[in-house]
Amino acid sequence: MKVFRYLIKRLLIALITLYIIATATFFLLALTPGDALSARVEKLPDQVTERLYEKYGLDKPVMERYLITMKGLLHGDFGESIIYEGQTVQDIIAEKGPVSARLGLQQMILGVGVGLLLGILAAVKKGKFWDYFVVVLAILLISVPNLIFALLLQMVFAARLKWFPVIGWPSAGQWFSGWKYTVLPTLAGCFGYIAAYSRLLKASMLDVMNQDYVLTAESKGLTHREVILHHVLRNSMIPIITRLPMTVAMCITGSFFIESVFSIPGLGLYYVNAVAAQDVPIVMGETVIIAALYIFVVFITDILYTIVDPRIRISGGKR
Amino acid sequence: MSDKLLKVDNLRVSYHTYAGEVQAVRGVSFELDEGETLALVGESGCGKSVTARSLMRLNKVPPAEIKAESRVLFQGENIYDFDQNRLRRYRGQDAAMIFQDAMAALNPTMTIGKQVAETLLHHQALSKKAAREQVRQLLQQVGISEPERRLRQYPHELSGGMRQRVMIAIAFANQPRLLIADEPTTALDVTIQAQIIDLMKQLQQIHKTAVIMITHDLGVVANLAQRIAVMYAGTIVERGSSREIFYHPRHPYTNMLLEAVPRLDQPEDKELASIAGTPPDLLNPPPGCPFCSRCRYCMDICLKQRPPVYQFEPDHQADCWLYALEKPAEDAPFTRRDDHE
Repeated sequence: MKVFRYLIKRLLIALITLYIIATATFFLLALTPGDALSARVEKLPDQVTERLYEKYGLDKPVMERYLITMKGLLHGDFGESIIYEGQTVQDIIAEKGPVSARLGLQQMILGVGVGLLLGILAAVKKGKFWDYFVVVLAILLISVPNLIFALLLQMVFAARLKWFPVIGWPSAGQWFSGWKYTVLPTLAGCFGYIAAYSRLLKASMLDVMNQDYVLTAESKGLTHREVILHHVLRNSMIPIITRLPMTVAMCITGSFFIESVFSIPGLGLYYVNAVAAQDVPIVMGETVIIAALYIFVVFITDILYTIVDPRIRISGGKR
Repeated sequence: MSDKLLKVDNLRVSYHTYAGEVQAVRGVSFELDEGETLALVGESGCGKSVTARSLMRLNKVPPAEIKAESRVLFQGENIYDFDQNRLRRYRGQDAAMIFQDAMAALNPTMTIGKQVAETLLHHQALSKKAAREQVRQLLQQVGISEPERRLRQYPHELSGGMRQRVMIAIAFANQPRLLIADEPTTALDVTIQAQIIDLMKQLQQIHKTAVIMITHDLGVVANLAQRIAVMYAGTIVERGSSREIFYHPRHPYTNMLLEAVPRLDQPEDKELASIAGTPPDLLNPPPGCPFCSRCRYCMDICLKQRPPVYQFEPDHQADCWLYALEKPAEDAPFTRRDDHE
């Protein structure tokens, strides 16, 4: 019963949050000078322009447009793109979503995996060579923007060594045959995760290693490996696991820089272009969908907390 | 050759900090027979916990440093010469340890059952099922009701007293020869304290385990320990049988500690005695007696030279200049110093 009430409460909060985000996005776009049609370069005859304004409802007053948009959102109808005729947000996400998701997940799996391994290494070898190696590496990786890494990788591995193509992305259906295209963008985007996760896990492990229960484990005569695996790692994974869903959400919504540098037809690039072109239905649609994704992810995170840490329970009441 | 279970000889432990070398334990020696109970008593920061941990080789090195001449002989073997395998057998099977705060000493994300079973499985060739059965029996032995249900619970679901019982179950799991209890009752209320002490005493008698009980509370050890060692500023200042220490304390510090134990027959309006001043800074320990700055009977010599050991009864010694029969070679005068009052 308590769990049920909790879920209802979370759902209501989610809806209110989404409403606020949608409204704020709408008015921010409305406040921007100009509109999607006037931003277009080519001059159309006045009559055509008028017809177009009518078609997209851009001739109506702001409040009326707001109500129409909100009504559409309630029905899951975000409207057609103004720039790309006839395309809806759903079409675009279906087309470009998988590209960004693949890139993002590859980056994440590589980055988080390597990051965690380095984190363990640094914590176990604290104060020795590998610890300092990981610290310096993390600082380097986090302070150089991945745009720079992207260009460097292109220069070395594509232009000089010619191991991988400079730009491009496998077309739909070419999941495996086009892997060579994905190597450099994956590498370019994974460094941030390596830095973040190695530092996070190291800090967390060092904290756990100072806990009394690690001393208890040692006093039981367990091997160093057993102590690390059974007692230290599980407890130090709590902050990691609860941060993972956020990383997943971040990486599947695409990254503007990597996608532009490697000419990857993904969501990130498209989204930014849509804002620049004031393509209201697309921006609204994407914003609401991404926001919903994040809200869901935060919810998943809270559920995960209760799974990894038995001290936390959903009911929120006293144990 | 020696029939002693444990022999600690000139144990010296330092901690290297940014401020310098903190000499936490400065030459501690004592012996322990099979099945005997020894209490290490002293105030916070006197080095008792560090001593306890060094008996299990649990001090983190660095920052800790166990001085080279220190010897901890378990059944005649120096535990600091053990290789990793022998050390792991020593920990958990030969010797076990109970910590002050059971909440912190139990892994919060592991069930009670697993935490007890872990030490069984590590030291005995048991099937998982047999281990589980043994865990159930152990929990019952330490007085935990519904062990079947409890072993699936996590530490936070248990009361403080029950958590300490779980710790005791873990400690006694492999019937160790030696149990080191580091303030096992400090975090508990008085009623539970008595229960836990009783339980430890009972298990100790069944298994013939030797116990080193570390505490700051002389009241706790009164009817538990056969012998008491009083620690101050990293050294043992007085050692003797419980009777001797309680009825004929020799060292001024022991005297003052005993005065500070609350009594039921104490008049209500009388303030509880306390020892003025603070223990010396172990970054720069004083050259003389460590207690001299707080001692009522401090003499000039106390400031300059560490007091020798004086023997009273066959098993009662104190380090204090008050018992010197003749003037030592150094020419520091034996005059009372009352100027510190």
